[in-house]
Amino acid sequence: MFIEFLRLAGQSVLHRKLRSILAVLGVLIGIMAVVMLISFGLSLKGLMTGEVSKVFGVDTFMIMDENVFSRSHSNTVKEYALDLETLRGVEGVKTVAAVRQRTAFIQGGTDDSGKAQQGFFPVMGLSPELLTDFTAFTGDLVFEEGGRQIAETDVDVAVVRRQLADRLGVGVGDAILIAGEKSNEITATVIGILAASEEKEQDQEFGMSMSASSADTIYIPYATMDRLWPEGNDFLVTVARTLPGYEVDEVADRAEAALKAEGSRVAAITSGDITSLIDQWMTYINIFLAGLAGISLLVGGVGVMNTMFTSVLERTKDIGVMKAVGAKNRHILAVFLIESGLIGLFGGVIGTMFGLGAAALICLMINALTSMPGGAAFPFIASPTLIAATLVGAFALGAVSGLWPAWRAARMPVVDALRYE
Amino acid sequence: MALLDLQGVTKDYPLGSTTVNALRGLDLSIERGEIVAIMGPSGSGKSTLMHILGALDAPTDGEARFQGQDLRDLSEDALVTLRGRKVGFVFQTFNLIQTLTAQQNVELPMTFLGVRRGERAERARALLAKVGLAERVGHRPNELSGGERQRVAIARALANDPEILLADEPTGNLDSETGATILRLLKQLCEDEEKTMILITHDPDAAAIADRIVRLRDGRVVEEVRHVH
Ligand SMILES: Nc1ncnc2c1ncn2[C@@H]1O[C@H](COP(=O)(O)OP(=O)(O)O)[C@@H](O)[C@H]1O
Ligand SMILES: [Mg+2]
Repeated sequence: MFIEFLRLAGQSVLHRKLRSILAVLGVLIGIMAVVMLISFGLSLKGLMTGEVSKVFGVDTFMIMDENVFSRSHSNTVKEYALDLETLRGVEGVKTVAAVRQRTAFIQGGTDDSGKAQQGFFPVMGLSPELLTDFTAFTGDLVFEEGGRQIAETDVDVAVVRRQLADRLGVGVGDAILIAGEKSNEITATVIGILAASEEKEQDQEFGMSMSASSADTIYIPYATMDRLWPEGNDFLVTVARTLPGYEVDEVADRAEAALKAEGSRVAAITSGDITSLIDQWMTYINIFLAGLAGISLLVGGVGVMNTMFTSVLERTKDIGVMKAVGAKNRHILAVFLIESGLIGLFGGVIGTMFGLGAAALICLMINALTSMPGGAAFPFIASPTLIAATLVGAFALGAVSGLWPAWRAARMPVVDALRYE
Repeated sequence: MALLDLQGVTKDYPLGSTTVNALRGLDLSIERGEIVAIMGPSGSGKSTLMHILGALDAPTDGEARFQGQDLRDLSEDALVTLRGRKVGFVFQTFNLIQTLTAQQNVELPMTFLGVRRGERAERARALLAKVGLAERVGHRPNELSGGERQRVAIARALANDPEILLADEPTGNLDSETGATILRLLKQLCEDEEKTMILITHDPDAAAIADRIVRLRDGRVVEEVRHVH
């Protein structure tokens, strides 16, 4: 019997094209907004978790300043004190790499008038393990002709960016002077210059230290850093890989406890921590989206209800006739609920397509207009669960919005309906 | 036992602060196989009477029996089933569903009774053939003439093989020639299928096909004439 009711309802929808289209449009816009926003949210989450898992394996954790997740007021990463040997000694830790950062007096070459080029610039010391075992953190760096990355055996070398090389007036093979603590001082040979990228803002950066790394930064080997500043209270980020068979979260907890016992104000962060942080953000975003969705769906629902009241009024005589030829109240109810459900479903199908299209377009545009470090891109995600839930929801939205009008139709006394002109 | 039996039926409609007494104590008995014409001026209560006879409406007071069954004892759903199975209505304004084809309109009463699709379609086509519309099964009402529409409505009224046909001014919206054809068709069907029919009409020609004429005025029966054909 459902098929017949579907036909009765469907033909009524088609018969009243313009009004049906208006109601469908209301639902369509709401559904489109919902699908677009949720899809974009999924893309955002996909991007973030993708980046996290690229940088972290399942076996890697990071040591950061303990307030790293609560620095709402400043956007620089704070340095912290740490004893690398303690970290190496923690059970389950296999490899450790660290990045230290200081500001130092630097002197480069001379300009045309023979004046020395000098100034204060940030210096980063990179563990050799960082360059061998944790390449995901450094990303793909592009060196200019003749230049190269710091190698494990290098001492007293430096890598700079094009901008800084220009300011200091140095090229590959030239020497720069780096002044450290007290009278510690070294002369380092520039072995590589990082090519300037097209966009000024989106420069090549050393992975996770990106927020602290600037165009001025000079990269030197960790051992050289240690000689210039023996006191290790300037750690920016430390990464550790666990031995096979160890649970990364347990090792991270042990490492954090051991370091804290020595007075280091640090937190050990695993990919699980970051993923749950992302999940937490996504929850807030989703609550916001749900609110937005609720409002637009309410508007759509009111549109359907309005259309259905008109439809019921217009079909008053039909209701009387159907009842006269044997339709029970629930038959009438079903016909009108199916009709409003169909309006919802039409809106849902088109809205879902448009919403997915809009989300895909947004991802495309973001990917085209910006370039993210490491070539990351917004993945477009068309979730089958989302699509199924939206279509069911759209039909339900239509049916629920039509409930009151349909109920009024069903309850209409047959004689009054028949006499209606 | 009479097919239909009304005893002291009244029907009041509240209208603003007053009450309209549409029927004022009406006794009427319809035997199986009869064709009864009900005549009377406009507003005399003919349609109201038909609604009560067809179990569409309940009397304010008095008793209405269908095959001996007091309609007051039936639930709303039981009344729906009763009229679905036993009563076929034909209206002055045809009252077809505009969005459905002729065949779908004829199938509708069977649909609500839960008759299976194949059986329904077959019977609908047979009925449409019987009223002379075998070639029109796929047409929608707005593609049919008035006379054709009324034929579809008659086929629909016969869909569930009812005991009784209730026709409320079935020729009221038709020209006299078409009206006469429709009346002949109704008379023919009643004889072929041994149906009872109540024919509400203004038209003396229409009344001529009846076995009995009942005249109403102000909600009361004022005259009954038995015809001898
Ligand atoms: N729903 C109603 N509300 C108020 N008055 C009604 C209603 N239905 C019918 N009437 C009144 O009842 C009387 C009988 O109407 P009706 O049975 O339609 O007469 P007929 O069919 O003989 O023209 C008329 O005066 C009409 O105005
Ligand atoms: Mg009337």
